[in-house]
Amino acid sequence: MLETTSLKKVFKKHLAVDDVSLYLDKGESVGLLGPNGAGKSTTISMISSLVKPTAGDVTWDGKSVVKQPGVIREYLGVVPQEIALYKELTAVENLKFFGRVYGLKGRALTERMESVLELVGLTERKNDLVKNYSGGMQRRINIAVALLHEPEIIIMDEPTVGIDPQSRNYILEMVQKLNREKGMTVLYTSHYMEEVERLCDRIYIMDHGKVIATGTKQELTSILSSEETIVLELDRPYPELKSELADLEEVHRVVETEKGMKLITPKNSKLLSKVFQVAERHQAQIVSVNVQIPTLEDVFLHLTGRKLRD
Amino acid sequence: MRSVFLLQLQRLRREPALVIWMMVMTVGFIFMLGGLGSASTIDVPLYFDASMDEEEQDVLLYQLNESDAFSFSLIEEQDAEKRVALGEIPYAIHATAENYEMLIAADDANHVFIDQYVRQVYVDELRLQQVEQSTEDPRIREEIDQNLSDVPLRLASETVDGEEQGGGIDQRNQALFGMTLFFSIYTIIQSLSKVAEEKRTGTWNRMILSPVRKWQVYLGHLCYAFLIGFLQIVIIFAGFKYLFGYGVGDSFGSIVLAVACYTFAIVALGMLMLGLVKTLEQLNAVVPIVAVSMAMIGGAYWPIELVSNSIILAISKVLPITYAMEALKQIASNNHDFTALAQPLSILLLFGVVCMGIGINLMERKM
Repeated sequence: MLETTSLKKVFKKHLAVDDVSLYLDKGESVGLLGPNGAGKSTTISMISSLVKPTAGDVTWDGKSVVKQPGVIREYLGVVPQEIALYKELTAVENLKFFGRVYGLKGRALTERMESVLELVGLTERKNDLVKNYSGGMQRRINIAVALLHEPEIIIMDEPTVGIDPQSRNYILEMVQKLNREKGMTVLYTSHYMEEVERLCDRIYIMDHGKVIATGTKQELTSILSSEETIVLELDRPYPELKSELADLEEVHRVVETEKGMKLITPKNSKLLSKVFQVAERHQAQIVSVNVQIPTLEDVFLHLTGRKLRD
Repeated sequence: MRSVFLLQLQRLRREPALVIWMMVMTVGFIFMLGGLGSASTIDVPLYFDASMDEEEQDVLLYQLNESDAFSFSLIEEQDAEKRVALGEIPYAIHATAENYEMLIAADDANHVFIDQYVRQVYVDELRLQQVEQSTEDPRIREEIDQNLSDVPLRLASETVDGEEQGGGIDQRNQALFGMTLFFSIYTIIQSLSKVAEEKRTGTWNRMILSPVRKWQVYLGHLCYAFLIGFLQIVIIFAGFKYLFGYGVGDSFGSIVLAVACYTFAIVALGMLMLGLVKTLEQLNAVVPIVAVSMAMIGGAYWPIELVSNSIILAISKVLPITYAMEALKQIASNNHDFTALAQPLSILLLFGVVCMGIGINLMERKM
């Protein structure tokens, strides 16, 4: 349905996207996971025909989007990262304008507006000015605009940035509903691992403009099938502890977390006693120890040596 | 294109403050600089130096008040100095037998006219005194006066309603045209800055991804900026012509035509500025600089006829406001010579086309 081949984008001398190839089948929900600056937004800008690639191609049903941007536009809904709305107007006025821009009018426009307002749960507040909405409500109407013309595929660029957990949950449920009940193809970008884990059938992990891993959640975590994650909670930060733990032979990676340290080690490495010894030497108080099955976050850590939200 | 245009009007309806404020500022400045009444006499407080005797004072006051454009009235020296210092009066003249000085509270467009006029009176008087001294003829002054009153050739021009045109500068029209054109620059470019705002907020990309063509989106914005600027100028001109009796000429249609050409040129200039700046903040910083310097050099603040500096005059030749002022003054003086009017209007259109082309090109390169 949608495919990119060796996509590359250079801004002046900065290589933003390098050799990215991915595909989406009809009805799939695909995640693009990576930290800020990984090249996710540039990739989706090229897919949606807003930015011309320096090299490579994007095809929609076999037709080149780079040569004919029009081939994808009528089937595509894009939810940008920013609130792309006229905040001095009401939700209805925004929807009416964008509906007209997509050629909707009269009864068809009214019906579509009612439908998307119901979907995003803003029917009661439809006549309020967007600037008076909460952050979560603005995000929801931002999504509603992209759904007005009933696109076949929706591209969502970090649609939950900066909102409360309740609104985030509402949006995630809505995306699941669109994908599972309405069969809409979804390309979802985020740096929140848990969102991508929850929503997506397949995941592309990006870093420094490249796709560094791809597969289902199970396939990706199996990269670390021979490893486990030890999460240490400490009473306060001990920066000097990190280098000594990293020097331990069995430790593959160490990263500081908000409350302590995270270590990626071989399974059943019997490392804990050595960890306690190092902690004791530094008079570090260990509050808790947790041995976990690797997550996507750990996969990213394993592949790049950095956290997703660095 | 229609949807984009109507949307901008809808947004204006929600937030009309800027346009209303610019119109209020325009009207306020016109009244301040041009005055309300039909007469446009400039009052000038004056005090004489203690060295002058009463007869010299009477003669000089009589000579100064010979012009209808100025009204010189006596004021006490201390009172004048105090009131100028406090800003209660903008200026006062300290007259001596052979020279004068001007006390000024703040910059004012009338200084130049007063200074020019008083200097001329002094120069004429000193010349007469020199002639009296060199000829030693006590009747020479009377002879000259008599000859001047019976000149062999006299130049006069009249308007259709019979009012004589002195050939001088009409301060009221200067204020009306200058201030209206000046403030309209802000309204037009601020209206156009919505393009940059839309690109920043992402609504521009939403439109680009829709079936609407990019040129239609541009056209919607350009038409809106044009309409707002055009209406602002025309409403103010019509208001001052019909409500306050300003003499903007008989042909209001020609005024409308000149305004349309000027508005087009400023919309195009706005596009060029949008293409040159990187952010909306930069644009907001640049607009006052461009508007004020253009108004100063282009003859919106004071008549270009008073400027003698060749560099400033050369720069004024590339500014649209110069040609708009020229065209409007011609129309106001009821000069219906089409070729004379066609030249400034053609230059405005040419300026507009060039700036528009470069501006859109620069904006597209930034995408």
